[in-house]
Amino acid sequence: MFLIRTLHKWFGLILGLQFLLWSISGAMMAMLDAKKVAAEDSERAPPSLAQPLSPVRLASLAQSLEAPILRARLRPLGEHYVYEIETPLDLRLFDAATGAPVTIDAARAKALAQGGYAGAGAVASVDKIDKVSGEVRGVKLPVWRVAFDDPEHTTLFVDPGTGAIHHRVNDTTRTWNLFWMIHIMDYPNGAGFNHPLIVTVATGCAWLALSGFILLFRSFRRQDFAYLLDPIDKLRGR
Amino acid sequence: MATAKKTTIRWPAWARKTHKWLALIIGVQALFWMLSGLYMTAVHIDIIHGDALVRPAPVLPVDPASVRDPAEILARYPAASTIKLDSQLGQPVFIIGEGKKRALVDARSGAPISPLNQAAAENRAQAIFAGPGKIVRTELLSVIPSEIKGRSAPIWRVEFAGRWRPTLYISPQTGELVAKRHDLWRMFDFVWMFHIMDYEARVDVNNLLLRVAAWMAVATSLTGAWLLLFSFRRKRRVRKPAQG
Repeated sequence: MFLIRTLHKWFGLILGLQFLLWSISGAMMAMLDAKKVAAEDSERAPPSLAQPLSPVRLASLAQSLEAPILRARLRPLGEHYVYEIETPLDLRLFDAATGAPVTIDAARAKALAQGGYAGAGAVASVDKIDKVSGEVRGVKLPVWRVAFDDPEHTTLFVDPGTGAIHHRVNDTTRTWNLFWMIHIMDYPNGAGFNHPLIVTVATGCAWLALSGFILLFRSFRRQDFAYLLDPIDKLRGR
Repeated sequence: MATAKKTTIRWPAWARKTHKWLALIIGVQALFWMLSGLYMTAVHIDIIHGDALVRPAPVLPVDPASVRDPAEILARYPAASTIKLDSQLGQPVFIIGEGKKRALVDARSGAPISPLNQAAAENRAQAIFAGPGKIVRTELLSVIPSEIKGRSAPIWRVEFAGRWRPTLYISPQTGELVAKRHDLWRMFDFVWMFHIMDYEARVDVNNLLLRVAAWMAVATSLTGAWLLLFSFRRKRRVRKPAQG
């Protein structure tokens, strides 16, 4: 038992700070409402579009491609229908009414973000992001970042290939991201939560918790529970 | 007397007392947190997701001249908003989307394929399953099991022989893979329940129990740090007898 106590104290000295960081970051994430973190209140459902009246034929679009078609979609994008065509080379968008190529440039990314945004703010900036940060962890880069000037600094991320709104963040998300980074010890951004450092420290902290749990059995005397046990003994007439 | 008592407050004893009482309440949960966290970090998330359970089905180039025009098929479903040309089992197909509803049609003839029967679902599952095992059980579920909550019913559940009970869920409406599960995923979901302390639905990360317990863990760590201040000595000394 002396050995356990010594180990508990030394593991506490070496790993205690991370244990504290895990509990604080975990507690903070538990406090932040998951719906706010997902910026759900800024979501606007896409407008329902009537089916395209006389779309170009897929076969005629195929003639302008240098590679065979693997998959194709006819779907709404913003306020128009587009063809999204996947070839072994790339993914391309075409206007369904005219057959003209559609590229998701800054202006179109801005318009698409505005279409999917329900808040009161206006677009403050549009940037192309090609470096990993807390806001774009695990996202395929580059991606369009469209920031709005509402009090929560809501920001939408638009996929430059498909024009889809990939995800959205606000100040609550950013606070959550900070605690998440601490929680998964992902200090060089983008490593995820399966790195050797966290597994090693988690093993040590599991021992810290287990040794502490074992010590509980030796840390209490009958006297600690006298307020509870004395009346029971009295009732039993001892 | 009062002043004499004041000078005899023994901080080490207080630190030990608060730490051990907090630990008595939170100790088991702290152990759950550490062990569940250890599992979730030690087993790579790509393995948990079952990426190795499936291999991408070969996608064959489609000659648009050999299939019906997507717009023509779409027009047959007035309420539909999307149509996708894809290939399944080497045949071109259209998947038509109408809100949450889906329909699968043969892209050459335009004839409906959905809803898939058992053989059609098994063929699609077998075509993408990467393991050596054979199908051991196929059922059409009308109630969504908790391991794929949020998906729509009915759904084909195809279980294969092999380590960790690999299971593929195939949509009878689209013929597509909806989810892949195996015991490592199920174990992750189980320990996640312990991690977020939502012992019912395993989804609510803001529940009151978790909030209270997490702040108690903060207090336990802090009192532990406080106790550390008294736990190390430069060299062994005879303990002074307590005064008063």
